[in-house]
Amino acid sequence: MRLGSFLKNRSIFLLTQGLVLSFIIILLAVVDIGIYAIIYVSSFFIITNVVAFIFEYIRKNNFYKGVLQNLENLDKKFLLSEMVEEPNFDEGIILYQILKETNKSMNDNIAKYKISSEEYREYIETWVHEIKTPIASTLLIIENNNNEVTRNIRTEIDKLDAFVEQALFYSRSNNVEKDYAIRGVILKDLVNQTIKGNSRNLIESKVLIELQKLDYEIFTDSKWFEFIVSQIITNSIKYKKDNPKIVFHAIENDNNIVFYITDNGIGIPENELSKVFDKGFTGQNGRKYAKSTGIGLYLAQKLCHKLGLSIGITSKINEGTTIFITFPRGHHNLR
Amino acid sequence: MSKIFIIEDDDIIRTELNNLLSKYGYVCESSTDFERVIDNVISAAADLVLLDINLPMFDGYYICREIRQRSNVPIIIVTSRANELDELMSMNLGADDFITKPYNTQILLAHISAILKRTVNNETINTISHKGVILHTTKSIVEYNGQTAELTKNELRILSTLMNNKGNIISRDDIMNDLWQSDEFIDDNTLTVNINRLRKKLESIDIFDFLVTRRGQGYVV
Repeated sequence: MRLGSFLKNRSIFLLTQGLVLSFIIILLAVVDIGIYAIIYVSSFFIITNVVAFIFEYIRKNNFYKGVLQNLENLDKKFLLSEMVEEPNFDEGIILYQILKETNKSMNDNIAKYKISSEEYREYIETWVHEIKTPIASTLLIIENNNNEVTRNIRTEIDKLDAFVEQALFYSRSNNVEKDYAIRGVILKDLVNQTIKGNSRNLIESKVLIELQKLDYEIFTDSKWFEFIVSQIITNSIKYKKDNPKIVFHAIENDNNIVFYITDNGIGIPENELSKVFDKGFTGQNGRKYAKSTGIGLYLAQKLCHKLGLSIGITSKINEGTTIFITFPRGHHNLR
Repeated sequence: MSKIFIIEDDDIIRTELNNLLSKYGYVCESSTDFERVIDNVISAAADLVLLDINLPMFDGYYICREIRQRSNVPIIIVTSRANELDELMSMNLGADDFITKPYNTQILLAHISAILKRTVNNETINTISHKGVILHTTKSIVEYNGQTAELTKNELRILSTLMNNKGNIISRDDIMNDLWQSDEFIDDNTLTVNINRLRKKLESIDIFDFLVTRRGQGYVV
C-alpha cells in the first residue's frame, strides 16, 4: 500500500477536514481571539489528524503487506485464508471473512470432485475384476476346444486382456503408494516373468528373444515393474519390422543399475523422441498404425517416477529403439 | 490319480476347469451348495482345493480358514483381485498358493502339479503312455518295447505336451508357448531342430511314425 494512494483514497475526508479547519480559523479571527490562539488551535487540529492518519496507515499497511507476502510465499495459494490473522478494522475483517468463506466453499467443491473421482476409480477397479471372470472362462473354453478358430479368438482375447489391464493400472496410477511393496528381486526373474506373460503375442509375431546378463538384484515392486516392461514389449511388437528381435540387458555402474530393452523395429523420428512419454502423443508412427493410443509409455514413465526409477529412450529410424530404466543403488541397499 | 476339489460359483469356469483338469489326468469334484461347501470338501478327501474368492454365502477367505482348521489339504486361491493385500491375506489364512485370473492354463497346471508333487507322491502322474510308448516325466526317459532313450529338457517338454493331448493336433506356436513357460525362449528354428532331434531319438529305439507333422497345423501323436 503506497502512502500516496492511501491519502488519495481519503481525499474527500481530507478536503472536509481542511474546510473545517478554515472555518475554525475564520471563526476565531472574527471573534478576535488573538493570533497565538489561532496557531495553537489549528496546529493541535493538524497534529492530531496526522497522528491518526499515521496510525491508521501503519495498521492497514501491516495487514495488507502481510497478506501479500503470505500469498507470494505460499505454494498452494488457496491456503491463504489459513495464514491470515484476523485484523481489527472493518475493511480487513470483511476481507478476512470473504477469504474464509470462499476458501470453505472451494474446499467443499474440491471434496465433491475428490469423492466423485474416487468413486469412479473404485468403479473401474470393480469393473476390471468383474470382466476378468468372463475373460478367464473364455480362455478356458478356448483351451478345451483348441482349433484354428479358437486360436484366433485367443489372440483377440489376449489383446482385450491387455487393454483391461492397462485400464486397471491407469486408474491405480495415482495411488501407487497404496498398493506396492518394494522388495529385492532378481532382474532376470522379473524379465522372464514378463516375457512369459506376453508369450502368445511374442510367439505369434515371431519375435526373437535375447537375454544377456541380467543377474542383478534390484529393488522395486514386481507387479508394477512387470506392467512397465509389458508396455515396452507391446510397443516393440506393434512397431516391428521383418525378423523382429528384442534384446534385454543390464549394466551395473557404481551407483546404479541400468536395464536396457532394445528392439530392431521401425524406430522413432528424432524430433518426436522428447514427446513420446507425453500422454496421448502418438506421432508419425502412431498415425501410420491405427492401434496407437499414446497411453503406454505415458503410464510407464508415470509409474517409473512413482517407484523412484528414471526411464529414458534412444531411437534411430529404421534401426530400432532402446528404452532404458535406471535403478538407483546405494541407499536402497542399506535396508 | 489325484483328486481336485473346485470351489467356483461361475458355471462355465467350473465346467471348463473340470474338462481341462480331467484331460490332464486329474479327478475333479465340485459343489454348488455353498452353504455346506466346507463339509463337502472334507468328505471328498481331495488332494487339492482350487478356491475362488468371490463366492455367494461366504467369501473364499472364510472358507479357506474353515478348511484349514479341519484339514491340511493344499489350497490354491484363484482370484481376479490382484493386489498385495489379497495375496497377503490368502497366505495368512493358510492358502498354499495364489493365482490371478485370467490365468495361463499352463501356469495353473504347473502350480497344481508342483504342489501335488510336494504333498502326495503320486507315481501315476509321472508317466504318460500312448500306443505303447511310455514317457517317464520325472526321469526324462522315453521307453518302448523295453528300450529306453534319454531326453533333454526341451524334448521332454515337447513330447509330454503332445502325449498329454494325444490325438489332438498341437500347433507349433502352442508348443513354443509351452516351452517358454519354463524360461526357454526358443525361436522357430530351434523348435524345428528340437523336433528333429526328438524324432531321431524316437527312431533310435524303433518308434517310427509316432510324431506326425500336419502341414500348416502342427504336430500330433
